Amino acid sequence: MVTENRSYNAQKVIERLAKKVNRQMAGSLAACVHCGMCTQSCHYVLANPDDPTFAPAYKADRIRRLFKRHLDWTGRIIPWWVKAGSVYTDEELAELMDTVFGKCTNCRRCTLNCPMGVDLAVVNRMARGLLVSVGVMPEGVAVVSKDQWEIGNQMGVLKEDYLETLDWMSEELQQELKDPAVGIPIDKFDCEVVYSINPREVKYDPRSIADAAKIFHFAEENWTMPSEGWDMTNFGLFSGDDDLGGAVARRLYEKVEDLRGKKLVISECGHGYRSTRCEGPNWAKYDVPFEMESSVITMLRYIKEGRIKVDPSKNDISVTYHDSCNNARSCGMTEEPRELLSYVVKDFREMHPNRAENYCCTGGGGAMSMSEYTPRRLKSAVVKADQLRATGAGVVVTSCHNCVDGLTDLIRHYKLGMQVTQLVNLVANALVIEERVAIPVEIVPEVTAAGSLAGRKILVVDDEPDILTFFASVLADNGAEVIEAREGQEALLKARSEKPDLVTLDISMPGQDGGKVFEALRRDPDLALTPVCIITGRPELRRLIYDRPVPPPDGYLDKPVNEETLLLNVKKILKVV
Amino acid sequence: MATFEHGSVKIEVDEDGFMAEPENWNQDVALALASTEGVGAMTESHWKVANYLRDYYKQFGIAPMIRKLCKETGFSLKEIYDLYPSGPAKGACKVAGLPKPTGCV
Repeated sequence: MVTENRSYNAQKVIERLAKKVNRQMAGSLAACVHCGMCTQSCHYVLANPDDPTFAPAYKADRIRRLFKRHLDWTGRIIPWWVKAGSVYTDEELAELMDTVFGKCTNCRRCTLNCPMGVDLAVVNRMARGLLVSVGVMPEGVAVVSKDQWEIGNQMGVLKEDYLETLDWMSEELQQELKDPAVGIPIDKFDCEVVYSINPREVKYDPRSIADAAKIFHFAEENWTMPSEGWDMTNFGLFSGDDDLGGAVARRLYEKVEDLRGKKLVISECGHGYRSTRCEGPNWAKYDVPFEMESSVITMLRYIKEGRIKVDPSKNDISVTYHDSCNNARSCGMTEEPRELLSYVVKDFREMHPNRAENYCCTGGGGAMSMSEYTPRRLKSAVVKADQLRATGAGVVVTSCHNCVDGLTDLIRHYKLGMQVTQLVNLVANALVIEERVAIPVEIVPEVTAAGSLAGRKILVVDDEPDILTFFASVLADNGAEVIEAREGQEALLKARSEKPDLVTLDISMPGQDGGKVFEALRRDPDLALTPVCIITGRPELRRLIYDRPVPPPDGYLDKPVNEETLLLNVKKILKVV
Repeated sequence: MATFEHGSVKIEVDEDGFMAEPENWNQDVALALASTEGVGAMTESHWKVANYLRDYYKQFGIAPMIRKLCKETGFSLKEIYDLYPSGPAKGACKVAGLPKPTGCV
């Protein structure tokens, strides 16, 4: 074999390539047919239509050529045909860095639009990891990774400063609520919720911590914040360094285990949520024995379980929602934030495209920490700016700190005059704080129950006899007139003849599924305004509802449903006080 | 790197508009940078915040926690945001001539 003349770093990159490429990457590297479907899906391309180097397929080819040359048999036999190539000099590594760090935010929108299922982000992240392993990376990435390795969080916040800030927020809350019992418990054992945050919150803007504490307080949650292992962000996702990713995730998991916590709740951060909940267990090779949940879902749960009360008129603003790429595209969290918003604001305006098809905030993939690419980032943000402007909303809500900063930057650059906020701020602001009166527990059902649904006609649709009987008896006990249906066709007939005030509709049924029934109800002029509450044991089936071009349902309930939750939600939809 | 010019002030800044050479900071530079951060006029309160950030940075080489900033200057969190609408990390640090804070900001 001919000895090739490579720089030390280039040689290391080639040697390490084989260890990095797993089956998923090999599939993505082999499968591209250069059809060009990805091109129009990328915000960089849309903003730079004359520069082919931004095309996802082109960017992937910078990495693909190495795979073809060094790992794939085709590159050994017909390298000119499969465009195999290699890297030899440090200048070539710098060029590769410019592509993988500076021309892609790993947002995965192209992946969603690829008929071959090529995941550019996973390949791009792998290439970042290779470069980082030889010290070739933007300075911002190096600084942040070092802090996360050495100090334990990405902003180098020292333990005493972290604890002092939490104390400070506790004091502020005590003053605001005039209640010395309010506060942020630290390192409490056996809690239901261990709450983890982004260092940005504690270092620069702890108002979101105080807001979360307020919500936990009114929900009467048994919660705590850990004194260590509290940073749920993870630069390993951005830098492609799985070792860093694993070390950071492990710190969180071990602390929750030490505290014997039941659930790790992750504050609103897209990459933090994905790293901690989805990727971390693999990077850390850790069998996580507790549940992990986004705070968005926690807050929604509190409202649906009746643990907190909110008043949307307290947020007198017009809002739109920006889906973070990691939450929506990579973790499938698209409906919960919208449902939560429906409880805390009145004027919601959808952004288009949205959910998994939404465009990147342009600050993803660690882009906010790489100043050298800022002009390029802001230029590509014209796509996002157009999207925001078209909503006509005054405020854009997002469940990701990175998006907050990316959006704030582009809103300023394009002079959109919009505000950026997060759900935790809106929920805390909408809280209805009542005078607490001690009522003996056993009296509660009598006070709230008897006759409160009197005069209401409810159609219960479910194919499971047990559930049908349970729903019917709970609702009838509370005074409602209940009509039952076991499948879709029967449900539609009864809805048309009985004209109920509310329909509770199971999604998964034999024959006509709940999605079709729902659309038929909405399309029937006599029934279009009848409130519908969707019931399902498999949240992924909600897809059957989302994709329909009719107004959304009035509520969702996940099985198993208990009596309290059922009544609370039914009353909420029927506006029964 | 880019050059930022405002009146008689001409300084080197990074692509996010933060000073490339923090040691060249002076009051004229602060006034010029303030004009880009939505700060109407630099009042005594603005200077108090900027000077504290400056001193802390000189001593420790990083931006302080918001807790320290509030405690040492006596301003509440809300007052800091009123003074510097784009926040302590981006607004106040930039005007005080600190380099861009690291991490997701």
